[in-house]
Amino acid sequence: MRNSEATTHVGMEIEATARPSGNGSTLPGLSPLSETLWREKANSEIIGDVSARLTWKDLTVMVTLSNGETQNVLEGLTGYAEPGTFTALMGPSGSGKSTLLDALSSRLAANAFLSGTILLNGRKAKLSFGTAAYVTQDDNLIGTLTVRETISYSARLRLPDNMPWTDKRALVESTIVAMGLQDCADTVIGNWHLRGISGGEKRRVSIALEILMRPRLLFLDEPTSGLDSASAFFVTQTLRALARDGRTVIASIHQPSSEVFELFDQLYLLSSGKTVYFGQASDAYEFFAQAGFPCPALRNPSDHFLRCINSDFDKVKATLKGSMKLRFEGSDDPLDRITTAEAIRTLIDFYRSSQHSYAATQKVDEISKVKGTVLEAGGSEASFLMQSYTLTQRSFMNMSRDFGYYWLRLVIYIVVTICIGTIYLNVGTGYNSILARGSCASFVFGFVTFMSIGGFPSFVEDMKVFQRERLNGHYGVTAFVISNTLSAMPFLILITFLSGTICYFMVRLHPGFWHYVFFVLCLYASVTVVESLMMAIASIVPNFLMGIIIGAGIQGIFMLVSGYFRLPHDIPKPVWRYPMSYISFHFWALQGQYQNDLRGLIFDNQTPDLPKIPGEYILEKVFQIDVNRSKWINLSVIFSMIVIYRIIFFIMIKINEDVTPWVRGYLARRRMQQKSGAQNTTIAPDVLTQSPSLRTYVSPPTK
Amino acid sequence: MEIEAAATDRSKPSNWGAATETDRDAPYTGFDRGSFLAWQDLRVVLPNFGKGPTKRLLNGLNGYAEPGRIMAIMGPSGSGKSTLLDALAGRLSKNVVMTGNVLLNGKKKGLGYGGVAYVTQEDVLLGTLTVKETVSYSAHLRLPTSMSKEEVNSLIDGTIIEMGLQDCADRLIGNWHLRGISGGEKKRLSIALEILTMPRLLFLDEPTSGLDSASAFFVVQTLRNVARDGRTVISSIHQPSSEVFALFDDLFLLSGGETVYFGEAKSAIEFFAEAGFPCPRKRNPSDHFLRCINSDFDIVTATLKGSQRIHDVPNSADPFANLATAEIKSMLVEKYGRSTHARRAKNRIQELSTDEGLQPSTQHGSEASWWKQLSTLTKRSFVNMCRDVGYYWLRIIIYIIVSICVGTVYFDIGYSYTSILARGACGAFISGFMTFMSIGGFPSFIEEMKVFYRERLNGYYGVAAYILANFLSSFPFLVAIALTSSTITYNMVKFRPGISHFVFFTINIYSCISVIESLMMVVASLVPNFLMGIITGAGIIGIMMMTSGFFRLLSDLPKPVWRYPISYISYGSWAIQGAYKNDLLGLEFDPLIPGDPKLNGEYVITHMLGIELNHSKWWDLAALFVILIGYRLLFFTVLKLKERASPLFQTLYAKRTIQQLEKRPSFRKMPSFPSQRHQPLHSLSSQDGLDSPLQ
Repeated sequence: MRNSEATTHVGMEIEATARPSGNGSTLPGLSPLSETLWREKANSEIIGDVSARLTWKDLTVMVTLSNGETQNVLEGLTGYAEPGTFTALMGPSGSGKSTLLDALSSRLAANAFLSGTILLNGRKAKLSFGTAAYVTQDDNLIGTLTVRETISYSARLRLPDNMPWTDKRALVESTIVAMGLQDCADTVIGNWHLRGISGGEKRRVSIALEILMRPRLLFLDEPTSGLDSASAFFVTQTLRALARDGRTVIASIHQPSSEVFELFDQLYLLSSGKTVYFGQASDAYEFFAQAGFPCPALRNPSDHFLRCINSDFDKVKATLKGSMKLRFEGSDDPLDRITTAEAIRTLIDFYRSSQHSYAATQKVDEISKVKGTVLEAGGSEASFLMQSYTLTQRSFMNMSRDFGYYWLRLVIYIVVTICIGTIYLNVGTGYNSILARGSCASFVFGFVTFMSIGGFPSFVEDMKVFQRERLNGHYGVTAFVISNTLSAMPFLILITFLSGTICYFMVRLHPGFWHYVFFVLCLYASVTVVESLMMAIASIVPNFLMGIIIGAGIQGIFMLVSGYFRLPHDIPKPVWRYPMSYISFHFWALQGQYQNDLRGLIFDNQTPDLPKIPGEYILEKVFQIDVNRSKWINLSVIFSMIVIYRIIFFIMIKINEDVTPWVRGYLARRRMQQKSGAQNTTIAPDVLTQSPSLRTYVSPPTK
Repeated sequence: MEIEAAATDRSKPSNWGAATETDRDAPYTGFDRGSFLAWQDLRVVLPNFGKGPTKRLLNGLNGYAEPGRIMAIMGPSGSGKSTLLDALAGRLSKNVVMTGNVLLNGKKKGLGYGGVAYVTQEDVLLGTLTVKETVSYSAHLRLPTSMSKEEVNSLIDGTIIEMGLQDCADRLIGNWHLRGISGGEKKRLSIALEILTMPRLLFLDEPTSGLDSASAFFVVQTLRNVARDGRTVISSIHQPSSEVFALFDDLFLLSGGETVYFGEAKSAIEFFAEAGFPCPRKRNPSDHFLRCINSDFDIVTATLKGSQRIHDVPNSADPFANLATAEIKSMLVEKYGRSTHARRAKNRIQELSTDEGLQPSTQHGSEASWWKQLSTLTKRSFVNMCRDVGYYWLRIIIYIIVSICVGTVYFDIGYSYTSILARGACGAFISGFMTFMSIGGFPSFIEEMKVFYRERLNGYYGVAAYILANFLSSFPFLVAIALTSSTITYNMVKFRPGISHFVFFTINIYSCISVIESLMMVVASLVPNFLMGIITGAGIIGIMMMTSGFFRLLSDLPKPVWRYPISYISYGSWAIQGAYKNDLLGLEFDPLIPGDPKLNGEYVITHMLGIELNHSKWWDLAALFVILIGYRLLFFTVLKLKERASPLFQTLYAKRTIQQLEKRPSFRKMPSFPSQRHQPLHSLSSQDGLDSPLQ
């Protein structure tokens, strides 16, 4: 009931906003929602439609492998996609459907080279973020947010600042309704410990995020993979509806069920990089029958098509025959008499001479003659401040809801500090307490900060979301770094304040308010440094486990040279003293804390008759601390380290984004030039089965 | 009974190899080897003692499976297909209660560990072994020791060929850092492992999920061949493609825990047509069936209508365009109840359940002797450790690097006054922090544990054999780690010279690392996931380090809790005491103020480091070994308890539930119950875990 109310409310709102623009000459056949969405664009641009007509002609993609060989992953493809239609790219795994999608959306990897023409509205255009949206196969979403929150944060991150909040909200609500998410709008998405929405709903949320910016062209990489039939049907149905609103939708699809297949408008069937069929999905049935491969009754046509062009079946049959199990019950299937490889060849030849191929070429020429609107849009239209603010808010929300991010650590910190507190309970000023105070400080700054590693997995999750949004141009690296720093601050302060207080008062460290403040601040700074260090590591290291191991190793070495395990003057000068001990934050923390704790105290000597020992003497002689440097300087060094690590993080991401692809492309070109004589332009299907997408292109396993 | 069956099998060992060969050629004829499985009025409920209704997962199902045929259990997600499969295989989870009869060859059966061949949905395999190795280790683990080598080998080769794995027989399976065989091959390998011992009854849980059409076809085709050899194959399946569906003989269609159809797969089309829902021509029948009974489609339609898209709901010729699936489903269930299919099934079940003449064929776990199991396991585990870079090799490298770091920081430590503390710190750092690094092998160990759980569930070997094998196979690596790191640090730091001191130092490091390994094993057996394991492990090690006598002198530790008992349980305190005694006794150090008499080792140990000298360093080492054995025993106990306690608990629980149910005249029905399998709460390591955050 509530939902339907909300729906009608939104509907009214949309109508209300749509009315003033309704001069009749705008886009026909659009739902009221879409009309609103494109109203401003339609008015601001040249008169005419703003839809995207994509054509590609003689598209060939060549990749270079690490051994210098080149392969044609796509060969001479021609086709088009028109507004209002839903085009499905189908083919067995390794046939190049993901590559085609990448090529059309200009997301090819750096070691792939493209020839042929791709025209958008008759113009050569590099598709930028915003014009075309790309929905990847995996849904990297923040698990602790609800569906509505996810979408509305995304809207605030990207929609222009000057758009009134009510408009944004209307847009968010209408997107939720358009994607059929109204029932789960207030359910959390779910992560490893929270059960949330289903896989199909997640997929639709991912799509919703991409259509927020009103792209005219929508690419989807296997939107139905991993979904059950009802969810897959729902997702496809939604995509079709999006297409009917005047968008151009292109999706690669793997093994659609019968119901899903019926929803396709255009079908592009690929096998080993060549076109097997391109045309109306409903005509494909006829096409296969004409080519001599009629689809048996009671069979899903798409299953039949894939069966005909999947050369893996040859291997399967050969192996089955090899295993002396010739128990193929006789069937009327023509495919039992000829191999799939032959079938593919027949079909490709048949398509080339068919009227479908002819019609496609003609249509492509026709569309590309019309020079349409230049569609352009940047990534995010929100200002930097808005992005930072929204990100901070979102990240804070996530941290406060994710139990593993900080809350678990808070508990662990309190437990550990209580342990420390009871062990060093009321440490006093006896002779033995000199060492005890030292080791207490080193334990707190060494092992307690070490526990910060526990938040690494949650951070890695965060990074994945960042990665996706960054790739789609939602916001910049700077905004991410700033927001992460700001949103983590309250939690870190809470953690260090509580554990610092427990430790300080149980152990009874040097009394005095400022000593207490220094201790807590120093602990805060150290924990934050560890956080920033782990962030920097996460940006360099390929996986989660390696991250933890490397993080632990670096901290271990820092601890070793901190001046507790080996006194500062005894640390070997080359490498370890200069520069390692100065890089180690433990070193600065201990220098500061020792001064903070011992200066001004007087300790008993070994036997009562000997003179008492002043703290300054211990600092200089026993712990070998530089007493001339103020403890506050030590603290500020740690704070500057935080900044430095964040900058390293920033630089690493920039390098990953800009330099690495350039280097890869350069290397690929070099290799190609070296091998330019020997060109092997046929594709080895068994190589590609392992890596259907070029984004993860790896050299084939050597046999 | 089990022993008897085993004995009869062993009495004709020559049949093992020969039977497989002849079986393949001769068509299946006799009833002598077959298993007839029948189930009558099978009900499974998930009781709920608190608020909320009790959930019926299965509701009075009848059916049977015959040798030589392959049966598909189909239904939308949450329809109870996995529950049915589990109920038949005797693998229901602990929190549900089953009533009704499951008859194997006319007898009620009790299936425990190793009772049945069951291929689970995920393929739990050791990624570092090749296909052939996996099969042959499994064969050696389970086949009777009386079988000759040739027989075993021919069985292994036969199985590999039967499952069409000959092309990839020498390829690695692959894990997170090794690229290996494809998903379809993995699945066929899992099946191969289960059919090695020629079971008569084979259960599979969604064998095609996650496979592409060619691989799925291959898997099901091989299953069909397995069935044609006279075995009874029952498999749940989710959205089969047209080719795959055509391979099944029988179909059990479920929706909401009720039978929609049971009978020959081919007659199902007719049944649906008669019920008024004919399958359209260009449709996969199985898609059509699921479309008819999947109530999720109601929600989809409702939501689509809600989002003002009615103008574009497909206008296909579906007879159910304006009929809710829930209605269709209930019509079909009712229709089935009155159909000839149901009657025929009932008669056949009657026939099967009264037929007492059939030999009850009981599956059993391993028939190999304990020594054979131990040696095979040790060998396998050793090969795995050798090939898995993350298991020990990576750690050896890290240990070498850390040792060199430690060695240079404390280089040539000398005998000055400050070196006293430095020696202490060095010992503490080595036994504390360096052993901490052992956590790095935890993920690999977890992988191995998964394989252990699967094989244990199938009754391949005992807990003791596993623990001992793990200890033996890891021994060389741990010794290598201890030896390299001790040699580097000992010689660089120049600890107290003397061969016996070096030996003690090495053994001390070895036992520390072994204790941590064993501790992590105990943690792994208690903790649900990888991340929790690392956090718990780190926490325990942290506390042990704190009480080890370095951070706070043993004599200064607060007496309750920390001194007694924790410092005595802590491996760290024994290791450090031993290391101090080993290093310092007999040395002389410069005093603090030049000119004072030199400090000897005894004085330093008792007065500065707070250690008492009333037992020798070798006693400290012995204590470490006692702790080591203690942890291994604890690990053994935990694993045993988990197995023993759960069946006992289950019986009690079932009794109590039935009592509860008798009090309630009826329980409300839940609309749809989300299956645990389709939204599993994965552990973090398997979920993303090893994927890159940034690449």
